[in-house]
Amino acid sequence: MIGVLITTHGNLGNELIKAAELIKGPLSDILHVSVDQSKNVEDIKKEIGNAIKKLDKEKGVLVLTDLFGGTPSNISLSFMKDQKVEVVTGVNLPMLLKLSEVKEGMTLREFACFIKEHGQKNIYVASELLSKKALG
Amino acid sequence: MTQDLNIQLVRVDNRLVHGQILESWVPYVKAQCIIVVDDGIAGNVFDETVIRMAVPSEIDLIINTVEDFAHNYNFSHNKGKNTIVLFRSIRDVCKAYELGFHFDKLNIGNIHHEEFKVCCSPSVFLCDTEIEDIIRLLENDGVVVELKRVPRERAVNIREALKGYCNVLP
Repeated sequence: MIGVLITTHGNLGNELIKAAELIKGPLSDILHVSVDQSKNVEDIKKEIGNAIKKLDKEKGVLVLTDLFGGTPSNISLSFMKDQKVEVVTGVNLPMLLKLSEVKEGMTLREFACFIKEHGQKNIYVASELLSKKALG
Repeated sequence: MTQDLNIQLVRVDNRLVHGQILESWVPYVKAQCIIVVDDGIAGNVFDETVIRMAVPSEIDLIINTVEDFAHNYNFSHNKGKNTIVLFRSIRDVCKAYELGFHFDKLNIGNIHHEEFKVCCSPSVFLCDTEIEDIIRLLENDGVVVELKRVPRERAVNIREALKGYCNVLP
């Protein structure tokens, strides 16, 4: 099983997990680390490092972060050097709902791309959709 | 190397380039250039790459050690590119000041010293040495030090923040 870590500004990640579980039921192999301004960068690094260790069951860990260039993402990237870690930024609810669909034999990289594509595909401007389907 | 840079913000932030910089300060000062001054990052290919990836391509990014930065850059006001200069620590910015990088205003965003003595704001925790360095900086004419995480927040002058800690501020 590929582990999943969500790390975000504030409690966003935790709330996303709660929302996903409301829809899908309990998620497994998933942890959350919140980054707020009262935390020291070194402490956040330790927290994220420990979470990755806990989640890594040989197939690696997918880290989902909220904002590319933000602290949660920057710190996560630093683990790509020596651990089996992929980072996908811009986490959203559709991505979380898709996590349980990881297929047997999928590599960490393939899983990361699969989740990214799903997250991107599920952003719509409603009127554009409606104009095709209902508004003519 | 000399470049015409119009310094809009000199900031100490132990997170260097992160969300508050890219999403708040860059649009606020209409930044065209970001300078990251840090001995640990400069020359470290991996760390430099992570920062380069984060900064939008239309913004110039310079990554330099404290010494190289202080010696090699000339700054002018009111001409050149709007620039943000970032340091990781009070010690580094003071070293740069002593080496000739002079400024009127220093912004403090995020500092979390483990052995802090004063909590100046939710994101600024200073230790004794840092406070001594700041006091020395304030002895220079016209230097203002203020705490402010993002542009839309009210700035707190360091003199206010340190009032309870030391009575003898220059």
